[in-house]
Order: sequence, then structure tokens, then C-alpha cells
Amino acid sequence: MRRLPAAPQLPISRTPWPALLLLSPALFFVVVFVAFPLGLELWFSVSNAQVGELGDFVGLANFGYLVQQATYHDALVNTSVYTVVSIAVKAALGMALAFALVRPFRGRRFVYALIFLPFIFPTITGTMAWYYLFSNVHGAINYTLMASGLSRDGVDWLGSFGPLPMASLITVNVWHGVGLFTVLLLAGLRSIPNEVLDSAVVDGARSWQRFIHVILPLLRPAVALAIVLSIMGTFGDFAIIHILTNGGPANHTQTVQHMAFVVALRDGDLGVSAAIAFSLMPVYLLAIAYMLRTVVRQ
Amino acid sequence: MVVFALLPLYWMLVVSLKTGKSQLVSGNPWWPDNFTLEHYGGLLTDPNFGRLVLNTAAATGATLVISLVASTLAAFALAFYRLPRSRSIALSLFVSYLLPPGVLFLPIALMLSTLHLTNSLLALVITYPSLAIPFGTWVLWTYFNRLPSDFMDVARAEGARPLQVLRYVLLPLSGPALAAVGLFAVAVVFNDYLYTFTLVNDPASSTLMADVGSNLIDIDDPGPTFAEIMLGVAPVALLGAFFADTFSKGLGTGVVE
Repeated sequence: MRRLPAAPQLPISRTPWPALLLLSPALFFVVVFVAFPLGLELWFSVSNAQVGELGDFVGLANFGYLVQQATYHDALVNTSVYTVVSIAVKAALGMALAFALVRPFRGRRFVYALIFLPFIFPTITGTMAWYYLFSNVHGAINYTLMASGLSRDGVDWLGSFGPLPMASLITVNVWHGVGLFTVLLLAGLRSIPNEVLDSAVVDGARSWQRFIHVILPLLRPAVALAIVLSIMGTFGDFAIIHILTNGGPANHTQTVQHMAFVVALRDGDLGVSAAIAFSLMPVYLLAIAYMLRTVVRQ
Repeated sequence: MVVFALLPLYWMLVVSLKTGKSQLVSGNPWWPDNFTLEHYGGLLTDPNFGRLVLNTAAATGATLVISLVASTLAAFALAFYRLPRSRSIALSLFVSYLLPPGVLFLPIALMLSTLHLTNSLLALVITYPSLAIPFGTWVLWTYFNRLPSDFMDVARAEGARPLQVLRYVLLPLSGPALAAVGLFAVAVVFNDYLYTFTLVNDPASSTLMADVGSNLIDIDDPGPTFAEIMLGVAPVALLGAFFADTFSKGLGTGVVE
């Protein structure tokens, strides 16, 4: 997005009250469902609150406790892998799809809708289907592998130690989220003049250069916005991890945000849960602020 | 890529069309070898299914309307009124949307349970808009800012009241952005698992998503559950998917340039 022109300020009112009135429904939701919960959660993180009691101030004890937990260290590593790899794959695939869809062809509208469909299809239902596709008890993927002779005993996609469970999670995350990248990148591509695009699509080696030096910079706001939205969905993901692996086996796919839920819902320990949820906030917000600078260049 | 996108959806369709309680442990998972429509027939005569559809429609509709109205009014105020720091307000709304649910979810659940609002559809209807409004306001605000100002200047010069400008000048020009925000609100409801999973246990106020989630464990007889998905949510999702173009234009002209 380029520098915005100054909004045409209507001489509607000299006081801010009418504007505040118009803002009030939105502000109501933000204050009640964002600001207040945020304050409460901040208090939890420095208290020994349990479900049903607000607890006492304990300083940074919850964070101190966390730092010593091996399970938390696992979660840090898993969160980084899950977030970074998922987003990288979605960005690359989304870019390829956006280029494939930028030119009209027969059935383009249909293909476009089908690629967007997983993004709007309820995550829980899609993830449930994937659970049974990956299942090692007559799962559809293993069935196919075994029926075609590619594998004799099937593969333990979700329950083995090693990289497979994480790769399965990332696959489902990409399945769900690549449509959003495609849509946003396509919107970005469409704002690029046709001649620039044509010259990049046509000839081989030079077009790659042109892509890096001409098109990619023009797409930066679209890429940044897609990444920001995607960081939020992936870093904060609950449904996919909860349904597919529940953080297992033995903590191998536990992420920080999912761990925060588990600690609160299973142990009722709101203090530690809040500390977990906030522990990566500085990094998270810095990453988002960095990306946002590109989206809202001002 | 299209195959990848459709793979689990096709699989669900197959499961929903098969008899056999143990179909998840035997048979060809890719083909309905013992074809039946009984799961669909069962749903159509099941009053519970009707209620789930109504609940889901009510939650989605209410979220859509509340989010669109609140976002439009807020974006209008931020774009066209003399308001100190309107740019910072718009930006902080966007950032507030980006707070991960792990940070907000527990306090919200505790707050609603203290107010005795859990286990009702109302809990969802007031929570979902809070997930859609901040982003929606931001999208519409950037969109309004990019509209040519002469229309509004003319309307103002003709003596139109501010809300008339909004109704007769801005809204007709904002179709794609409004559609994008609306679709986004629907996606919020459809993609939610966390809130519906934890806020509502009572089947009488469940949505389809919560109901399907609670049937997750019942792998003995998956047919009805997946028929429920195919009949209850798949048509809406497919319809929404065909708005992908509008979605991309709405976000595109406003946000991405």
C-alpha cells in the first residue's frame, strides 16, 4: 500500500462525540473481549490464580518456573518449526498458485473457489478428516500405500518419534491456509501492470530475475499481510494440533499456545498458563510489527 | 493442488455415503462400496439436526450482521471525522485482532461463566463479533481512505447528512470490501473450534461445529457425523468459496496495492 492521501475530512462536527458514538459498538467489543481479558490474563501471569480464584501476586515466579521446564523448551522449538515451515510452504505454494491463476482460463473461477474452499471449510471438520486419512488403523493414506505396494506395513504418520507427526501437522496447516495466501497474492498480482507481468512470465532465466527484482518488491505488501494473518493462525493454532496429535507423541508436537491451553484446561493452573501464553509475546509482536511496517507504510 | 484441497472433503463424502459401523477399520476408504443414503435420510428426519442448523445459522447470521454494522460505523468515523489519533486507533484495532486466542481465551471463558452466559448461543453471538470487528474495521478503513473524495465532497456540498453520505455514497461503492469483511466474519464462525468447544456443552445451543467436534470420538459409526458435515456446512462453505474473487478484490483494493 502506498502512502495514503489525507482522508477528506468532512467538516461534520467540531467535537469528537459523534465520531465516538459511531465507534462505540466496535469499541464495546474490543474493550469487553480484548482489553479486559488481556488485563486479566496479564494479572494471571504474575499471580498464582487457579480456576475459581484470582490468587495473589507472585512476581515473575511463573516465568521462572517455566524456564526450568523441559516440556516448555520442547514447545519453543516445536512452535518455531511449526510456524516458520508452515508459513514458508504456504508462501511458496500460494505464490505459485497465484501466478497460475492470474491469467484467465476455462474453469478458472471453479479452480479458484476449490483452492479457497479449505480456508472457509470448518477447520475442525477438515482436520478430523485428515486425522482419519493419516490414521495408522486403516487410514486412507496407508491403505493407498499398502494397496499399491509402496509400503508393506504403512507409516505411523501421527504417532512416531521423529519428524513425521510435525510434518503431518504442517501438511494440514498448509491445506487449510494456502488459500488465503493465494487470494491475497493474486490481489497483489492484479495491481501490477500487465506488461510487467507478461515479460516476467514469458522468457526463462531472465524472468526469474525479473520476478526477484521487479515483481516480488511490488508484491511485498500482499506477502506481508498474508504472513501477518498466517502467523496469527499458525502460532495461535489450537484446533489442528489438538485434534491431530494433542501435542504428542510425548510432547513432540507441543506448541507454546497449545501448551497454555492444556495447562489451564487440564491442570487449572491459570498463572502458569498465562505465563506460557505471554512468554513469546515480545517476539510475536516484534515479528508482526516488522511485517506491518510493510503493509502500512507511513 | 486441487486434488490436495479436495482430498479430505472427498473422503468425508465417501464416509457419509457408506453403511457399516466398522467402515473406518475395513473396506476401501476411497470408494463407497456399500453405498447408502440412510445417513442423509436420518438427518432430515432428526429434529436435533434441524436445531443444530438453526443454531449455526443464527450464530453465523448474527455475527455477520453485528460485525458488518459495527465495523462500517467505526471505519466511517475513523476515516471521515475529525478524531485525534484516528490512524493509531485503526492500527491498534488491527493489532488487537492479531492477539493469539491463547492470550484472550481463558479470561473470556471465565468472564462469561461468571456472568452465567456460557452454555447459550448468546455466548457465541457476543464473542464471535469481537474476533471479526477489529480486522473488519481496519479493512473498511483502508478501503474508505482510498475512495476518491470528490463524491463525498459533492454530496456534502449538496447538504447530505453524514449518515446519508455513508448510506448513499460510501456503501454503494464499497461492495467488495463489505463482502470481504462479511466473508471473513463467516470464516471466523466456521473456523472456530476453541470457543464453541469450551463455551457451549449443552446440545440444545450447540452449533454444527461443536456437535461434530463432540462426536469426534465416536469412530464406531462415523457415517451420520460426516453426513452432517456434508449437508450442514459444506454447501455454505462452497458458496462462500465462490466469493473468493470478491474477497480478494475487497481486500485487494483496500489493503494491498
